[in-house]
Amino acid sequence: MNKKEPFSDILVVGAGIAGIQASLMLSKAKKNVHLIEKTSYTGGASIKYEEVFSNMECSTCMLAPIQQQLLQDKNITLHTLSTIKGVKGSQGNYIVTIEKKARYVDMVNCIGCNACFDPCPVSVKNEFEEGLNERKAIFVPCAGALPNVPMIDTEHCLRFKNKKCTACQEACMFEAIDYNQKDETFDIKVGAIIVATGFSLFDTQKTPHYGYGTLDDVYTALEFERLYASNGPTEGTIQLKKGDSPKSAAIIHCVGRKEQGYCSSVCCLYSLKFTHYLTSKLPDIKIYNLYSDLCIPGKSHQKFYEKMKDAGTTLLRADAIKVEKKGKSMEITYTDENNKKTSITVDMVILAPALLPHPDTMGLAKTLDIAVDDHEFFKENDTTSSCVSSSKPGIYIVGCAQGPKNIQDSVTQASAAVGKILSSS
Amino acid sequence: MKIGVYICECGPNIAEKVDIDEVIKAVKPLDNVAVVERFKLLCSQDGKQFLADQIKKHELTHLVVAACSPREHQQTFMDVCEQEGLNPYLFQLANIREQCAWITDDKKEATKKAIRLTKAAVARVQYHTPLEKQQIESNPDVLVIGGGIAGIQASLQLAGPERTIHLVEKTSSLGGLSQYYEKTFPDMKPCASFIKGLIETVKNNPHINVYTNTEIEEILGFFGNFEITVKQTTTPEATAAFEVGAVVVATGATPFNPEHISKYGYQKIENVITALDFEQMNLSGKITLKNGKPPKSVAIIHCVGREEKGYCSQICCMYSIKFIRYLQKKVPSTKITNFYTDLCIPGKSQQHFYEQSLGNHVDFIRMSDLQITKQSDKIQITYSNEKDASKKLSVDMVILSPVLEPTQGLSSIIESTRISQGEKGFLTEEHEKIAPVSTSTEGVFIAGCSHGPKSIEETMSQAEAVTGHILTSLIPGQKIEPEVKVSHISESFCIGCKTCLNVCCYGAITFDDLKKVSVVNEVICRGCGNCVAACPSGAITLKHFTHNQVYHEVKEAVQ
Repeated sequence: MNKKEPFSDILVVGAGIAGIQASLMLSKAKKNVHLIEKTSYTGGASIKYEEVFSNMECSTCMLAPIQQQLLQDKNITLHTLSTIKGVKGSQGNYIVTIEKKARYVDMVNCIGCNACFDPCPVSVKNEFEEGLNERKAIFVPCAGALPNVPMIDTEHCLRFKNKKCTACQEACMFEAIDYNQKDETFDIKVGAIIVATGFSLFDTQKTPHYGYGTLDDVYTALEFERLYASNGPTEGTIQLKKGDSPKSAAIIHCVGRKEQGYCSSVCCLYSLKFTHYLTSKLPDIKIYNLYSDLCIPGKSHQKFYEKMKDAGTTLLRADAIKVEKKGKSMEITYTDENNKKTSITVDMVILAPALLPHPDTMGLAKTLDIAVDDHEFFKENDTTSSCVSSSKPGIYIVGCAQGPKNIQDSVTQASAAVGKILSSS
Repeated sequence: MKIGVYICECGPNIAEKVDIDEVIKAVKPLDNVAVVERFKLLCSQDGKQFLADQIKKHELTHLVVAACSPREHQQTFMDVCEQEGLNPYLFQLANIREQCAWITDDKKEATKKAIRLTKAAVARVQYHTPLEKQQIESNPDVLVIGGGIAGIQASLQLAGPERTIHLVEKTSSLGGLSQYYEKTFPDMKPCASFIKGLIETVKNNPHINVYTNTEIEEILGFFGNFEITVKQTTTPEATAAFEVGAVVVATGATPFNPEHISKYGYQKIENVITALDFEQMNLSGKITLKNGKPPKSVAIIHCVGREEKGYCSQICCMYSIKFIRYLQKKVPSTKITNFYTDLCIPGKSQQHFYEQSLGNHVDFIRMSDLQITKQSDKIQITYSNEKDASKKLSVDMVILSPVLEPTQGLSSIIESTRISQGEKGFLTEEHEKIAPVSTSTEGVFIAGCSHGPKSIEETMSQAEAVTGHILTSLIPGQKIEPEVKVSHISESFCIGCKTCLNVCCYGAITFDDLKKVSVVNEVICRGCGNCVAACPSGAITLKHFTHNQVYHEVKEAVQ
């Protein structure tokens, strides 16, 4: 019988921290890696955080060196603005069809000077900043994004609406703007696939009793992360919608837990981290954490919790929470641990929503022909093992694509998938 | 010496904000500067070719580029040097974009600073010396310490025709704690029988050497070349020695012993047992009281020892819920009461498992101030709940769910590998977020509960992650390239005070008792510079950050 020679290249889907970790490790073993990323930048969700628990390290300082290393790695081909269109074959011999959207900015010529932004006449809400500020039709999502090369958003760019605008091209000194770039479709041959597509957040509009979308100063966790971020819309100033600083804030845990039917394992810890965010900028602020069960597993997290408690937060075990407007502030009514109805008044409310699978999960599962679980996360083949093998040999699922988890566990799973691939080859 | 200085315009980015002609004027008369030129964009293909041509044309011995941040293009320009046969460490980059052009609109100020930084780079580069990459042979074999599920999984994934695994287990058998678990949560899949199967696979693998009843005597050396001595616990004079390239510490954890906390009554009151006692009882086939009768009521106490140890072990809530399943199956009519503080069931499948375990005979009570006492032939639990103080419940059996503690007796491993232990006694990872299974000692990895309390699933993940690191960094037949910018100790200046030995995080420095001086092992040194700063006699230099290099750079920069 003729045995096919397996392809040695590896495909990694998603350039978040798990995808980056897997790619860098595979490159070290002299594997050629195709890393595809749907957005225009690397770093995934983690680059949105200013600091990470429990050592409060600056997230950019932690990530920028490995992002830079990724971009300079000669064994790794990064395809941004790319998605999988089709897959043929089986373990060892996958042929994957990639669709790569045009960036309209030349990756080689562009030096990332940002001169093209100002002249652009279009302003739209910046999705990366959770809509808290605006960006141009030619943009990078935030300062420090890597690769530091902008993209043109064809949905809003005047030129792609049949108007004659060449403002960005005129501003570019490096002939980097290329309106004639075309979307590309191409095939790659790989022996294995690592899926690291990450998560999305529970839609807080589905729980209207928390006031999100109707009350001004109710934020989601990610919005608050950007509000605190030094490269965010307020450059790190924590302020209310009207511009003044809050005198009190409540962080509501477990938003969407009931609806989703699982504990996302990271919300209690990042909610506690927010205590540090708030007190470091506003030392006199009054902070409440409204929780149901405090979930702070692991060797170092209780110490972190105690530190945050000392920094100044009141922990309230609360049920039946409702947020309503009360004068200039908001009133939160809830049932306390003695089953008594009670209330607090605050200026700012931060919701800690459950982690959900990335919205593309179902589509990708169909394309790759791999199973998902009841919550629509990718389903592991065997829970007594490391959970990184999907239902199909040669396809691995890592990070939050497999289930909600913290950065450490995502990185561990990415390394585990690399272990599996190299051990079987 | 012929130094070439090249100033990048970076399009308008530097050219419009810095008066490059002024920079050229200031740099040109400096000693040893052979040529100063400006170029539109040095990182472009044209720019790199230009630099390459210049190196040849002027026979340059040193190169200075004034351009952007070293993070952007230091490697680009070092690559150009290497291609042209110029040692890449005879190069210096001055950052006049991020640190000058982009931080002010005041062209005069920007130019002034750009001149300083460029002159500083010229001053520094004159003291640069060529540094060469070393290559050392490495041994692909691996020592795995601990024959629990982490050690077994790592061994199985690493072993092969080109890699022998030495699996060392302190006790008489492989399997660790999980060999006592009939099933695992949340899928209630067989565990003990699964592990039995794995142990057989290990024993039948010709590339795995299993050493039971064996302890680590000594670990010497460094990544790629460790020398290991082990000794038998049964006959201590029986030792064995072998060489490996990497070490995996998978020494696991042990359940906290609640004997010394009187409120739990363990070892004093009959039918108060620990989770591990209960697992073993369940595995033996029957759940009974001391008198042989099935319990009519059982209390499961969560978080035993949490307050004392100061952390949540993350698996106790889940295995306590698993006990409900054991009880429901073997003694279906038993009334089960769970006493907990916070229900910690993180992850996508855990809550479903919890909900599926509830039933008519199952209660969950959030408690505080718990006390267990004997009450004739029953056990009385006194507690406060959310509404009342001093509630009471009588049960036939109490199962205590204790936290996990790190395994004791690791000091010889810790000392000889120079890895560190956190305040709770678990082993410390290299980086909490992005390097959770490596340690501060290159080539020494940690997996499973020795790193911190965790589930079987997470333990397997870590074991496989370790194999990922070893398979990518310790490839049979491939040489290892250690760090180039390392410390060097001058034998004649060293006064033998041993200060450097204490500040080195990597154990790279040893003391030569004959010569009475400290010696750096360049293969282990990572160039952090701790020893340089600590040395009272100035005997230590860090290559590429020597006193002269830094002094002359700073002198120009602050003039």
